Amino acid sequence: MKKVGVYICECGPNIADNVDIERILASVSSMEESEGIEIVAKPYKLLCSGEGQEYLKEEIETNQLTHLVIGACSPRDHNSTFINVCKQTRLNPYLYKLINIREHCAWIVHDKEKATDKAIQYIRGGIRRVLYQSELHEKKLDINPDVLVIGGGIAGIEAALCLAGPERRVFLVEKSDKLGGKAAEWGSLLPRQAGGVKAIQDKIGQTEANTGIQVITKTRVNNIIGFLGNFEAELCQVDDPETTTDLTVGAIVVATGFRLNEVSSLPEFKSADSDEVYTTLDVERMLKEKGQVALQTGEKPKSVALIFCAGREKVGYCSQICCSTTIKIARQIKEQNPETAVKCFIRDLCLPHKDDQAFYQQARDLGVEFVRVQTVKSDGVGVHYTCMDQSNGTEKFDMVILAPAMEPAEGTTELSEILGIPLHETGFYEEAHQTINPVATATDGIFVAGTARGPGGVTATLNQAQAVAGKIMVQLIPGEQIVPEVKVSEILEAFCMGCKTCLDVCHYGAIVFDEDKGISVVKEAVCRGCGNCVGSCPSGAIQLKHFTKPQLYQEVIEALR
Amino acid sequence: MSDGSQVLIIGAGIAGMEASLMLSRTGRKVYLIEKLPLIGGKVIKNEESFPNLECSTCMVAPIQQAVLQDPNIETLTLTTVEKIEGEAGHFTVSVLKKARYVKMADCIGCGMCYDPCPVSLDNEWEENLGKRKAIYVPTAGSLPNVPSIDSLQCLKLSGQKECSACVEACMFGAIDLTEKDKKLDIEVGTIIIATGSDLYDVAQLSRLGYGKYPGVYTSMEFERLFASNGPTSGELTMRDSEHQPKSVAIVHCVGREELGYCSGVCCLYSFKHAHFLKHKLGDVAVYNLYTDICVPDKTHQKFVESIREETQLVFYTEPTELSVDKKDGMLCVNYLDASGGKKSINVEMVILAPAMVPGKDTKKLAKIAGIGLDDKGFLAVDGDGLGTVETGKKGIFIAGCAVGPGDIQNSVIQAESAVSKVMSTFLSEVS
Amino acid sequence: MESKNQKQFEPRIVGFLCNWCTYAAADLAGSTKIEIDPALTVIRVMCSSRIDPNLVLTTFFDGADGILIAGCHPGDCHYGKGNYYTRRRYALLKEVIDTLKLDPERLHLSWISAAEGNRYAEVVNAFTDKIKKLGPSPIKSSSLF
Repeated sequence: MKKVGVYICECGPNIADNVDIERILASVSSMEESEGIEIVAKPYKLLCSGEGQEYLKEEIETNQLTHLVIGACSPRDHNSTFINVCKQTRLNPYLYKLINIREHCAWIVHDKEKATDKAIQYIRGGIRRVLYQSELHEKKLDINPDVLVIGGGIAGIEAALCLAGPERRVFLVEKSDKLGGKAAEWGSLLPRQAGGVKAIQDKIGQTEANTGIQVITKTRVNNIIGFLGNFEAELCQVDDPETTTDLTVGAIVVATGFRLNEVSSLPEFKSADSDEVYTTLDVERMLKEKGQVALQTGEKPKSVALIFCAGREKVGYCSQICCSTTIKIARQIKEQNPETAVKCFIRDLCLPHKDDQAFYQQARDLGVEFVRVQTVKSDGVGVHYTCMDQSNGTEKFDMVILAPAMEPAEGTTELSEILGIPLHETGFYEEAHQTINPVATATDGIFVAGTARGPGGVTATLNQAQAVAGKIMVQLIPGEQIVPEVKVSEILEAFCMGCKTCLDVCHYGAIVFDEDKGISVVKEAVCRGCGNCVGSCPSGAIQLKHFTKPQLYQEVIEALR
Repeated sequence: MSDGSQVLIIGAGIAGMEASLMLSRTGRKVYLIEKLPLIGGKVIKNEESFPNLECSTCMVAPIQQAVLQDPNIETLTLTTVEKIEGEAGHFTVSVLKKARYVKMADCIGCGMCYDPCPVSLDNEWEENLGKRKAIYVPTAGSLPNVPSIDSLQCLKLSGQKECSACVEACMFGAIDLTEKDKKLDIEVGTIIIATGSDLYDVAQLSRLGYGKYPGVYTSMEFERLFASNGPTSGELTMRDSEHQPKSVAIVHCVGREELGYCSGVCCLYSFKHAHFLKHKLGDVAVYNLYTDICVPDKTHQKFVESIREETQLVFYTEPTELSVDKKDGMLCVNYLDASGGKKSINVEMVILAPAMVPGKDTKKLAKIAGIGLDDKGFLAVDGDGLGTVETGKKGIFIAGCAVGPGDIQNSVIQAESAVSKVMSTFLSEVS
Repeated sequence: MESKNQKQFEPRIVGFLCNWCTYAAADLAGSTKIEIDPALTVIRVMCSSRIDPNLVLTTFFDGADGILIAGCHPGDCHYGKGNYYTRRRYALLKEVIDTLKLDPERLHLSWISAAEGNRYAEVVNAFTDKIKKLGPSPIKSSSLF
């Protein structure tokens, strides 16, 4: 026989003064006969207090309650309080329900009679619902604490260095033959230049020496299946895709970096190979190799134009770091060649880091010229521009340097499909939540750091790599288990007709298709319990635990009485 | 007794809360201290945050509640740090916990004590645009949802007069006017400082008329004007008039020249403000006066473009020449255009977007912690140019706007990075 | 059709509110003690996308005079894109309800964020007024009931 404990909290005067608790208890008790259950219905002063919780524990045990209903405040306030109470008794916490008769009743219905009627409606609905609730048991899963890092640039290196330890191995996979990525190709770094380059080289050295990090070059990722704590990755060699390796890891870090937009294909920056037109990356390499900027003839240029925001209209976003790095290049050229005219054609300057503006001001003090333009085009080494005051200008230079936009690296689309994580409309990886969860993705256990996530500089990239490490370190603790969500969806085999609609709507990729059986299956460890799949299923084959149709319907019955 | 695993986090804004929740998951005990009576920091002062104009409360309230309900996190509000001694693994932090005068365990947040209180004054959390009582929560929806008493304003506590109106109104006996400020010594292994930032005091720039003309607002004041739980219930009625403005000029880059840096977020929230104005008032002329439009993230430019039609972009030069005066009952914003010519716009309201500056207590806290400040007064990051959240002192890390201007995303990333540093601090010493 | 019961007509409205946004707004409204018509009964779901068309139709067939579905503003969904699916299903439901000769105005969708306590109260009270004017659901007087 089901025995439901119904406890109405007086909440001081908040509930007691605004509803007739006795009448509620009487109405509830009358359900014994109509529903064929036993009911224990009592009021209490303040259930969330220490004494209140002890009282509930005693009531559950003494009365051998099979279900518990509490009429009090909002579940957002105290659901976890009473779940903890249940956990300390034999009552499964999913056979309990907290009904909000304070915020949604006592406080808003100012007529006591009507408020009491409303409270009765809610409590009866809650009792009906709880009788349809099932025991749910939290499962503990063993996890693999190891990490797969995809991309051996500084984001990948930093993440690997932070994560590798005696109890956690890191597999650092890189498609080229060496570590370092783009940052290693630069001769200087912002904001403090020479020291930064050495630090990056040191990090590469540390990574190669670290026995907790296995560096796997000339390799890419073929396939990933699994979920947080239990991923299986298939790697293959770039030159020989038939040669594969399998890895099991607990988390994956995507650190595949960026490439520069192809400015030479843009109509506004026409140039022939013979022209002295370079991108900022070309100049970085030149500065690293030769230590200075020179024309193809080997001579020093007498005039240099640097065009900012090249291709920005095409990509539709600011690449954050080009203003500073292009100013850095302008400064270096001017410092090495004080007689050279260095002219920067700028749009809105993006100097969001606290040292950026001073850096820019110092460039001006050195004699670098800055011209604010509305539009700018180049034809070989001829630059045509319109200023903010609508005046036009045309100048010829010995050398033109274009600062192109940052784009996601080649292969990003393919990799995102292998990983099953979405891309933002700009083509970079999409964060789980741009503001409050910016280095995670829609799939638990897959993280993204560095320019794969969006344009940014070296410091931002390091920050993100460390943030990813932080998240992995707290979620996958060696030797500890994880407890996935229990209020997840399940698909009733008999009703599933294999239409796959649910696969499309699931934001987390928690549903897979079993080809043999011809039905969809929920990966419980991945499911977040939103219920979107339930809403989409044409045959009603999907059920969301703890929010099933029968359960919600019981609330509807009382709502319509 | 500390085994070195306990962590102290100073500041319960988004960075501090995120770090505390992460560290709690590892079973570590976290002390989260906050000088205000509520947690949530600056994020909860904005109704909606860029770039998605997402409801800040929806975003942050689950985090606030998780923090307050977490068994590993001890949140100490109305608390400040007085001394830090020791070293990584063995810090002793002396804190001053000011009396709340309301017992958190007994108060259920019903709010019956506010009405009877006879003292009414400007609510500083609402940027002095609304009122509060001596016993108060800074805003509806404050967490913890427990009032505190301003002992300087309370008639009884300040010794002005015998009064027990709130005590009598409380059915739970939760008010205790005999409570005293407490000094506590907390032993921890590592510390994260996440004390945030403030806005530049625009009253220092008399050319802008702030404080002189009631129609000139700071961006934070405007956020409260717009908030549906704020002093105008989101109706955007101006102070001293109850009138909604028909024309508004939003001035970007206030203080940028004087301080020498761009704060990286003001353009975005200024366009957000333009959108709020247009959306709420409809028939209103909006101008965004800017020098550089700074939109660093991949999503920001699109956000600004979506709002472009709702405002008039006005490019101005020589920011130190911009001034606001009054003419024929209207506010007149005088500026120099692209060719240096003098121009002006007449509006009813001016919103100033000031630079982000270090919080008032940053200097004092840096001294207490024995860590450095940079040349702008923010907490200095140690390292050879590639430092992120480390200070010169082992075991003390910094995160969020206390390190420099940035948006919410940046604060969260730094907090998560600081957590990885805390976790690694002693790993190399573990055999 | 006028009926002498219309004067005392107390509608039965079901509100399916999403946990993260609208339910929180309803709590906020409650904590500020705004008066809200008791006609609406709140049923909490984790995401508005949980609301399948079947549940809505069943609720109407059982005699609901009005149904409110409320969730986070587009772009704010706690689960990514759930509310976009809600919006689509709602559009479809409006058409289905129309073919059943049930006034589509009896189904309402609203995006209410956690900070919008006042707005929640406004939306619920306005919807309740509308349903009062529309009168009892014709399903209640039909042979289906």
